[in-house]
Formats: sequence, C-alpha cells, structure tokens
Amino acid sequence: MHKHLNLLFLATENLLRHRTKTVVVCLCIIAILTPFITAIAISEGIRSQSLNSVNAGADLYLTSDEFGRNAAISLKYLDEIKKIFGVTKIVPRIVGRGFLQNKLTVIVGIHKEDIPEPVTCISGRVFENTNEVIVGHELAKYFHLNIGDQFSMRCQQRKVFTVVGIFSADSGIWGASMIFMPFNDAGDLFGKENVATDIQIYSLPGHNSEIATDLYDIFQNEAYRLQDKQMIELYVKKGFMLKEGVFSALYIVAIALGVPAILVTSGFGLSERKKEVGIMKATGWQTLEVLELISFEQLLISLLGATIAIVLAILWVRGFRGAFIAQFFIAEITMLPNFALPARFLPLPCFISFFFAFLLTMVGSIYSSWRASTVSPVVSLQS
Amino acid sequence: MIRTENLCKSYGHHSQYEVRAIHDINVNIAKNCFVVFRGPSGSGKTTLLNIIGTLDRPTAGKVFLYDKEITSFSDIAFARLRREKIGFIFQNFHLIPRLTSWENVAYPLIPLGISLKERFERAQFFLEKMGLGDRLSHTPEELSGGQQQRVAIARAMINDPEIIIADEPTSNIDEETSAHILQYFEELKIRGVTILVATHSAIFEKIADTVYKMKNGRIE
Ligand SMILES: Nc1ncnc2c1ncn2[C@@H]1O[C@H](COP(=O)(O)OP(=O)(O)O)[C@@H](O)[C@H]1O
Ligand SMILES: [Mg+2]
Repeated sequence: MHKHLNLLFLATENLLRHRTKTVVVCLCIIAILTPFITAIAISEGIRSQSLNSVNAGADLYLTSDEFGRNAAISLKYLDEIKKIFGVTKIVPRIVGRGFLQNKLTVIVGIHKEDIPEPVTCISGRVFENTNEVIVGHELAKYFHLNIGDQFSMRCQQRKVFTVVGIFSADSGIWGASMIFMPFNDAGDLFGKENVATDIQIYSLPGHNSEIATDLYDIFQNEAYRLQDKQMIELYVKKGFMLKEGVFSALYIVAIALGVPAILVTSGFGLSERKKEVGIMKATGWQTLEVLELISFEQLLISLLGATIAIVLAILWVRGFRGAFIAQFFIAEITMLPNFALPARFLPLPCFISFFFAFLLTMVGSIYSSWRASTVSPVVSLQS
Repeated sequence: MIRTENLCKSYGHHSQYEVRAIHDINVNIAKNCFVVFRGPSGSGKTTLLNIIGTLDRPTAGKVFLYDKEITSFSDIAFARLRREKIGFIFQNFHLIPRLTSWENVAYPLIPLGISLKERFERAQFFLEKMGLGDRLSHTPEELSGGQQQRVAIARAMINDPEIIIADEPTSNIDEETSAHILQYFEELKIRGVTILVATHSAIFEKIADTVYKMKNGRIE
C-alpha cells in the first residue's frame, strides 16, 4: 500500500519536474475534450428539456397525412372529437414559421385559454382581442419591443399586430423567439381557414386505444395520423441522434488531428527518460514498478486535463453560451445564442472523457515506457 | 561468493562485425574480498562488471552467486538481486537530473514503500557520511564531479548491499575525492562488503586483495 502511495506521489512530482511536457499533453487533452463535453452537455440539456415539454404536453397529436408526412388538419370534426369518451380537452394549434424583419420566428396560433402553462407573461397581459400578440422576451429584447408597440408581419397576408404582453417560458430556448397570437389571426396570417397544423388531445389514462378506434370511425376514408406521446418522444430522441451524428462526424475530423498530437506528446520525452528508467532498473526497480509509476503519471495528467476540460466546457456554456457548438443542436441561432442554454453535465460523459484521455495518453506512452523498462538496464543507461 | 565459468559476451553476434568484448572469463571471488579489474580502455571491464552485476546477460558461460547459477534467472529475479544485494557506482555517476542529492540517494527506496521521512533520514545519514551534509538539496547540476560521485556512492549504499560494483569510480573526478573514496571503500571492506572495481589506474592496487589484469577481453 505504502509502495503504491509512494509511486503516486512520485508520479505527481515527476509531472511537476517535467513541466513542459505536462503542460503540452494537458493542452492537447483539453483541446480535444472541451468541445466534446460542451456538445454533449448542450445536447443532453436540450434533449431533456424537449422530453420534459413532450411529457407535460398532450397525450395524442392528431394531424392529417399527406405523402406520409404530417399535414394541416381540418377543424370540421372538432366537435365530434370533443365528444369521444375519454377525451378531456382538445387544443387546435397553428404552428408556423415566419420572418419578423430578418429574424425567423416561430408563430403559434392558439386560443387564449389553451396557452400552455409554462408560458407566463412577465409584463403586460395575455391577448384578448384580435391582432393582439404576446412575444417571447428574447425577441422583444432583440427588436426593442414594448407593450403597446405595433409591428407588421407578412406571410401569406400582411398583418399588423399589437404587443400586449411579453412572456418567458420555463423551457428557455423554445419560448425565446416565439410569438403567440389568437388562433384565427394565425389562420389569416398564413392564409388558411378552418385548419390547424395539429390538434392536441388530452385524454384520461388508458383510453388512447379506444379514442383511436373512435377517430377511425369519424375520419372514415380521410387520411389522418394519430401519434402518441411515446412516438413524439421517439422523434425528439431521433432528431437528437441525427444532430449528434452530424456533430460527431465533424468532431471525428478534429480528433483525427488531435489524437496523434496526444500520442506523440505523451510518448515524447519518454525517450529522454529512458536513461532515468535505466538508473531506476539498475538500482533495483522492477519493470512493473516502473510501469506503474508511468501509468500513474498518465492517470494524473488525464485527470487534470479532463477536469480542466470540464471546467472550460462549463465556462463555454455559461459564459459564452456554447458559441460555435450550440448551433449544431438548435436550428437558426446565431453564433452566440442570447439565451440561457439548457446544458446538462452528466457524470457519464465526464467520466468517458476522462477515460478517453487516459486511454490516449496510455497508448501514447505505454510502448515507449515498456520498451525502456524491459530492455536490459545497460541499454537504457547508454542512451 | 561470486564465480564465473567461461563467461563470454559478443556484440553483433553472427555478423561480420562481431566484437568479442570478453571471452572465457573465469574468476572466483570470495566474500568480503576487494577485487580490482585493471586494464586499458576497451579491454572488457565494463562488460564483465555489468554481467556480474546482472545489468546485462552473457552470450555464453555462467555466473554463480553463493553457488547458485544466476545466469538463468528472470529479469524480475535480477531486479530483486540488484535491490537486495548489489550497489552500483558508475564512471559517469548516472544521477537523475533535476532531483536533489537526497532524492537521488533515496530513489531506490521509493518502491519499497518507505515513508518520505525515513527516506530523507536514511539519505541524510549516508550523504553526511560522504561529507555532503551541506549539499542535501543540491541538484547534480549544482555539484562538482567529485561531489556527484559521492552522491552516487551514497545511493549505492542506501540498501545496505553485500556487493559493491564500481566501474571506474575515480576516472572522472579529482584526486582529493579519489583519496576520500578509496578510504571509504576500505571502511566498507572492514564492514564485510565485497567490492569489485574496474579501473585503468593503479590507485586501488594498494588496498586490493586480488588484481585481475585484463587485456582484449581476457584476464592475463
Ligand atoms: N553496446 C556495444 N556494442 C558493440 N560493442 C560494444 C558495446 N559495448 C562495448 N563494446 C565493445 O566491447 C569491448 C569492451 O568494452 P568495455 O567493456 O566497455 O571495455 P572497458 O570498460 O574496459 O573500456 C570494446 O571493444 C567495445 O568497443
Ligand atoms: Mg568501461
């Protein structure tokens, strides 16, 4: 036990003694790990936030089906759907996108009483009349919109809206650049009457399959799609896997450049230490003890590098709002997203990062150290 | 105590550039003997001492230690022998750069699990004995050759070895320190240590029990 402690302390001293090498290896580890940890944290954060909002949302999502895709659904069966046993509430929505000047915003048309709970006005009030809107706080800040201001928007129709409230939502990103408006105004704006992009159905637990059967009867020959929470959840997860995939692909390129650097730097200097190993062997050190010492050194340096990388990743997310990385995961954001990123630093990715660093430094150093400690001491002494 | 049987070592074996560093070396060294191998440079002294000291393996022949044939021992057993029985002193000191004197001296004790305090105390004891009590925290770069060699001797003694192998210990240092080292070796001999010294000069001959004259890899 004392022996291993001694070796651990010596490993620490050696890292201090070979300071330049320690710093170089550390920098390489940090350069590789920081973007990785940042990306995972952002992705995890957004994923969990999306899943939360799916969970808090409706039980069933009804749309019509065109070419196997979700399409707008007519409102003509609204009353019949409402009457199905087990349906507690239905919410028709129009969710669309439109430019407010140069900025793409998400437009939600919804009846006043159906505005989702997490959306709360931080100033002003909820819309009452036609052509009144509430806007997300980030959007309001961006365009310097205040209560009572008017702005015009053009999609299919040009309409002039009055800001009556500014809201924030728990789920930071989604609410940040949204505009909520009365259902019919959104219909006008997009030039569609009597349709919703989807109808959300809230149901009593355990009634989903009966509701589905009744809907089948109602829609007869019309193509419609009914999706439940689990499916939506799956879509969200799949979407993230895709985005993570895109990021990984780019990241692999970066790693391909960074890994040789770690390998070289962690092995480099060991040849310079070959003589040191020879001296150790000549004075009675066992090969295993030498290898243990070098492994400890790599362990410590990986731990140090990974810890710094995690701290930097946290700074990146908190201080620089995930610049350059967040846009992989959130569509249409500028370099510095101007809202709090929902990042989650889970222990597993941090551990994986550390393990990855350890693996790399070990791979880089193990061969040369093994060579140095297994050749006869005379040979290492001569170098 | 130490015996060799037809010990041979060739470099570049089986090639046209084969160098026979030593051949057919037969020596028999009794316990507590002071043995000097004297010969010109290139005569195979270092090669012989390295093989006897388990730092290298012979091409042919055998080495016996306490009547046990050690040539066939594993590397692990060799390392254990070096740790428990043998202390080395080299011509060019072989100290670890940037480590202080006492750290260099105590380095072999680290894998033995000995505590920092005890390591320091033991290193201090031997360094004071070598007259370096005021150089405990100097690094090799801050010491003269003679001082470095005395640090190396303190390191060789730290495990209380039964055998000291010194390869031209005085070749790179001043006469005054050489005299000091000579005196110290005599002291070690009185304490029962077996000492093997390689040298090309005559200074050890007056205290040696046996002198082997070496030339071209053979003992004359
Ligand atoms: N690693 C080596 N490779 C090839 N030849 C060597 C090697 N080491 C020593 N020799 C040769 O072996 C002979 C004996 O060398 P050495 O034992 O160092 O002699 P000494 O210590 O008496 O000067 C010399 O001719 C030397 O050139
Ligand atoms: Mg020599």
